[in-house]
Amino acid sequence: MARTDIVEDYSTNFEAWINDFNDWQTRIGFDPSWLGDYKFDIKFDWDTAGNQIEFGDFEGMPKWERRMQIPQQNIRDAIISMISVQGDTEFASVEQQNHLLDTAPTEYDKKSALRIMCEEQRHGWQMAYVLCTYFGEQGVREASKLLERNAQEGTRILGSFNAPIDHWLDFFCFTHFIDRDGKYQLKMLSTSSFKPLAASMGPMLKEESFHLGTGANGLRRIVKQGVIPCALLQKYLNKWISTGLDLFGTDDSTSAQWAYVYGVKGRYDERESEIDADREHLNEASRDLYFQELRDEMRRISSARKEGEPELFIPSDKFNRGIGMYAGEKYTITGESFEGTDEEYGNYLISVLPTDEDEEKLMNDYMKKDWIQYREWKGK
Amino acid sequence: MQHISLLAFNKEKCKPFFDNLTDLFYEHHHSEQQNPDEYEKLLYMVKRPYDNNMLDMIDNWMGLGNREWKDETTREVKLALYAIKYPDTLLIDSFTSNARSDIHRLSSYLHFTHHTYAIWDEDTRKGLVKLGISIPPTDIADPFIYGAYVSAIELLKDVAPFTCFLEHDVPRQRLFQAALAAYGRQD
Repeated sequence: MARTDIVEDYSTNFEAWINDFNDWQTRIGFDPSWLGDYKFDIKFDWDTAGNQIEFGDFEGMPKWERRMQIPQQNIRDAIISMISVQGDTEFASVEQQNHLLDTAPTEYDKKSALRIMCEEQRHGWQMAYVLCTYFGEQGVREASKLLERNAQEGTRILGSFNAPIDHWLDFFCFTHFIDRDGKYQLKMLSTSSFKPLAASMGPMLKEESFHLGTGANGLRRIVKQGVIPCALLQKYLNKWISTGLDLFGTDDSTSAQWAYVYGVKGRYDERESEIDADREHLNEASRDLYFQELRDEMRRISSARKEGEPELFIPSDKFNRGIGMYAGEKYTITGESFEGTDEEYGNYLISVLPTDEDEEKLMNDYMKKDWIQYREWKGK
Repeated sequence: MQHISLLAFNKEKCKPFFDNLTDLFYEHHHSEQQNPDEYEKLLYMVKRPYDNNMLDMIDNWMGLGNREWKDETTREVKLALYAIKYPDTLLIDSFTSNARSDIHRLSSYLHFTHHTYAIWDEDTRKGLVKLGISIPPTDIADPFIYGAYVSAIELLKDVAPFTCFLEHDVPRQRLFQAALAAYGRQD
């Protein structure tokens, strides 16, 4: 149990970064007045972060609280890289989503989306604060890059965060599948040997839970309404789940292994697990837990469907993968190896992933109707 | 108020509550009596500009009788719903006695229009008392008592471990208020 500390005084480096952040908001079209009373507090939960390194080769030693306590430059680099990737996703998601506010299906959805965007920005602030405050010039440079890369230009670090989110079905898929990956990453960093990073995660995880609930409930409301056919919804699930699985990184990852050795990033269930980590397959282990969680969640969402509609399901983890041992291989959504030419596989993908025609039908036909439960408020 | 609460706050006493918060929330919020579907519907249906029909829907979900308010009293409350800013409760002090007569009604209006203020509930108050946070019983909307109630729930949100935060799209204040109500009912 822990109390959250809110930082009152900022370093000069971070103050300068805030000016750049204000420019970034203007550049991407996020009106600061949308924030209302919301404040981008820097929050740390020091108690839950723990005092001793919990795993890896430095296990049992005091957690590092400052840069100079970190014993090697390569460990510092690994920590900076983890923080940069995390921060990059936070700002990217706002770039991807903020144009959706005008077309929110209900006022509550608009408020929820706005809150999610505010909290993602706060998470980005938190990561930028850690970089600027603890990692000197190198940290300041990386914090600047968080605002220079751009999802709409396709320059964000991870693939899912460059993908366009054209409508609210994509938004709910993103918050359900991609933010769920975010929950995994945050929890894996919550046991980090670098204490300011570990202590950042508790408050971020508290906020992330609402994002996931918004995604899951949004999908359930669409399924329950029954206007968009489940066969079409399935295509969007196929698209987003494969990209979500890719976010866990490569199989047999040596960088995940080194991060574990350094105690920088643990397993999703690091504190709960009673078995030793398989250090050579860390990404696979986390991905398997995520995959199982998706299946459980989808059973709940699918149970809301109307009579006669096909069951929604999580496609095979071999399908449409861009990273890992199945990357670039031809598999069906049910996991069988596809026997056929590349052209035939291309045609198969058209049948199981959203096409331009599907997008057209979705946005200009189904979404013109009451396509989601409680859709009364029709936007501007 | 929150500073006073913090000084006297016993975190260890909260551990059993936090350990069971998920189950406690489901026990209360998803009970037949609470009608969670109707609660969810209100989150979407109550929106600006607020009208009497929306207040009626809230009264209905709360199981309250008709408002026996003059038109100007309803207008006064509706204007306050626009003006009030969380976590302020002092605005309630300026209300006429009729508007302040029922804390259950007023807190539920605040909850569904702001999604932050917690619904006043006797079981929830008892739950807070079990955690060592003493809030006196009342039926009248006293701004100081209700302010302490709101601040106490905010404090619990702050102190709770992240495992307490369910993947649910109800407001976080509802998560804690509902769990506290179930906790308050336990022997």
